[in-house]
Amino acid sequence: MAVLNQNMYERELTRDELMALRNRRTAVTVFQISWIMVFVCLIVVNLQIRSNSPSWPPPGVQGLEPILPTVATLGLLMSALLARNGLKAIGVGRQSAFASNWRAALVLGGAFVAIMAYEWTTVQFSGQFSSIFRVMVAYHAVHAVVIGYVMWRVYRTAQAGGYTVQRHWPVEGAAKLWYFVVVAWVMFYVVLYIL
Amino acid sequence: MATVTAPLPGARVENEGQRIRFADLLRWSVDHKVIGLQYFVTSLFFFVVGGGLVMLVRWELLTPALDLTGSGTTYNQLFSIHGTVMIFLFIIPLWGAFGNYLLPLMLGAKDMAFPWLNAFAFWLIPPAGVLMILGWFVGQTEAGWTSYPPLSTLFSGDGQTLWAISLHLLGLSSILGAINFIVTIRNMRPAGMGYFQMPLLAWAILAQAIIIVMATPFLAGALTLLILDRVAGTSFFDPANGGDVLLWQNVFWFYSHPAVYIMVLPGFGVISEVLSIHSRKPIFGYRAIALSSLAIALVGFTVWAHHMFTSLQPELRIPFMITSMIIAVPTGIKVFSWLGTIWAGKIRFTSAMLFALGFLSMFVIGGISGVMLAAVPFDIHVHDTYFVVSHLHFVLYGGSVFAAYAAIYHWFPKMTGRMLDERLGKIHFWITYPAFFFTFFPMHLLGMLGMPRRVAVYAPEYQALNVLVSISSFILGVSTFIALYNMVRSLKVGRVAGPNPWRALTLEWTTSSPPPPHNFDGDPVPFKNPYGFGTEAAHLYLEAIESHSGPSAPPPAVTTALPEPAPSGD
Repeated sequence: MAVLNQNMYERELTRDELMALRNRRTAVTVFQISWIMVFVCLIVVNLQIRSNSPSWPPPGVQGLEPILPTVATLGLLMSALLARNGLKAIGVGRQSAFASNWRAALVLGGAFVAIMAYEWTTVQFSGQFSSIFRVMVAYHAVHAVVIGYVMWRVYRTAQAGGYTVQRHWPVEGAAKLWYFVVVAWVMFYVVLYIL
Repeated sequence: MATVTAPLPGARVENEGQRIRFADLLRWSVDHKVIGLQYFVTSLFFFVVGGGLVMLVRWELLTPALDLTGSGTTYNQLFSIHGTVMIFLFIIPLWGAFGNYLLPLMLGAKDMAFPWLNAFAFWLIPPAGVLMILGWFVGQTEAGWTSYPPLSTLFSGDGQTLWAISLHLLGLSSILGAINFIVTIRNMRPAGMGYFQMPLLAWAILAQAIIIVMATPFLAGALTLLILDRVAGTSFFDPANGGDVLLWQNVFWFYSHPAVYIMVLPGFGVISEVLSIHSRKPIFGYRAIALSSLAIALVGFTVWAHHMFTSLQPELRIPFMITSMIIAVPTGIKVFSWLGTIWAGKIRFTSAMLFALGFLSMFVIGGISGVMLAAVPFDIHVHDTYFVVSHLHFVLYGGSVFAAYAAIYHWFPKMTGRMLDERLGKIHFWITYPAFFFTFFPMHLLGMLGMPRRVAVYAPEYQALNVLVSISSFILGVSTFIALYNMVRSLKVGRVAGPNPWRALTLEWTTSSPPPPHNFDGDPVPFKNPYGFGTEAAHLYLEAIESHSGPSAPPPAVTTALPEPAPSGD
């Protein structure tokens, strides 16, 4: 229903506004498909490095403890859901629902970054095993922090009444970028903690 | 009596077009035409830089001994920066020039989808070029454009780190530009122009952009690891510490083989346009050409390991040999379609057409040597020899640069409002064509005889062929300046071009030359078949363009050295 309402409101946009919205949506999709390849590259690097080792972790190296990262990952997944709820809420004019959902998403995202920063600093130094772990986690964290900052700015703008039912592209764009952060991390989580 | 819609409804175009001065190119602008020219001038500048470097390389190779450069290190630096500059700062940005300038015009749009992003993508290139050159002050890279570790991790100077940062910037520029191209093509086509009514250059740019957005991030990942190995103490590429030198080769070639298609696919689009227009024939196999571009983009991701046949696990060689041979099929489809296009056409041997025909002959040689290299036994025999250098240059010079020259002669009138001098253009072609051939064809022989690439000192029995190659390369280098002189001269004294001097049917020719700031007055209506020459409808469409925009080309003041007029009946 929310989607139907959103489409209805988009009909009120001018031709140029509609074209701009369409362009932005396509661009974000293409960017997501493109930039995920950097994360795929790091996964390939991880797999090739571990293929050179008789075991993984290498003999004598302590493995990663998965409990805290799993909790952080569940929190990150929840944050994506909350961001989506926030986007739907602002699309139907429910500003307070947007604010509560978006705020919770930000808190969970911040908690995720904090937990992974702790994991990053406490991992045992062990050559390739810790190097590739740290590169992957840090690379993802840079994206989480930058896009998290974008979400924070969107939140502040929304609090100041900067978005309307018809015009709230920054909210949609930030949410989609946050989905990217979540998908990229889930791929990393599988490689780092499950395989 | 066929009916035809006027290309531009509403008032006749009265403006004189947008004259862009050189000073405009030094300023931030979000106009796609200014940005296109910024790309154009920048890439030509780096063409001269890269060409100058390789002249020194060829001077060194006149004799078997080390004489001009004085050290192997200097020689290594010269060919490393030559390759990097030519690929990343010349060819790729040059296609960015034509893409940026022409795509919105071909689609009847007022600009690219994201003008600001477009400008930002361009302005990443000059600092990247400066970083690359600055390497000479801190110990230039000497690991070749491929920068294999351990050469790039243990032996090169700090210039190698600048090289990696520079490529990061250039990769980001490419990705942002490609996103812009994809969005513009998907969303900003005019009413009546489906995907299969697009000009084939737009198809080629689309295929190129898809490769860029999918492959270039891999290069970003590889460069990040290289920088970390050099400055942060990691050892991803150091086998002594559990790293793997083949790791670089895998991730680098996963980008860099598709990058060959990034460098040549827009050239394919140019050739489709030029051959059809200058032979007044409908394109043969439009859909086959369009879809084969996408096929090349797709299959291009499955062939990277043929660069590693000598180091690859034996069981993986055959699969990669097969995919590397398969990719010749869509390219072959294009070549036969182009031959079908010019067959029995009313061919006008303009400079653009000559370079397009030159492309056809030289690129086919590069394609065939590519299939030879795809065969594992042959590749192992000539691995890292001059045969590979020859193949590479037949594809990238005989392919990309010849196509770029064709594009320059074809679209310079649209970009500047002035015709290039055809007499100089033909002189340029007839010097370039044999000079190119005798520069690069003998390298096949040198490679098969066993001369390794990237060496300053070689066995005396190779000298005769090397002298031939070097002298030819000097002539080739000089021929470049004929084109540059022609461009500079024509800007001042070239014959004024009308809106449509080639009597073409694509939308960029329905507006003035150069186009006005917003390209079109009103929404242009595309002709249903952009290559539908020889029909009454096409003739009426061209008449409609003339009634709106003035004569296709003003009558010549001087009758010498002008392109032949378009034949009637188109």
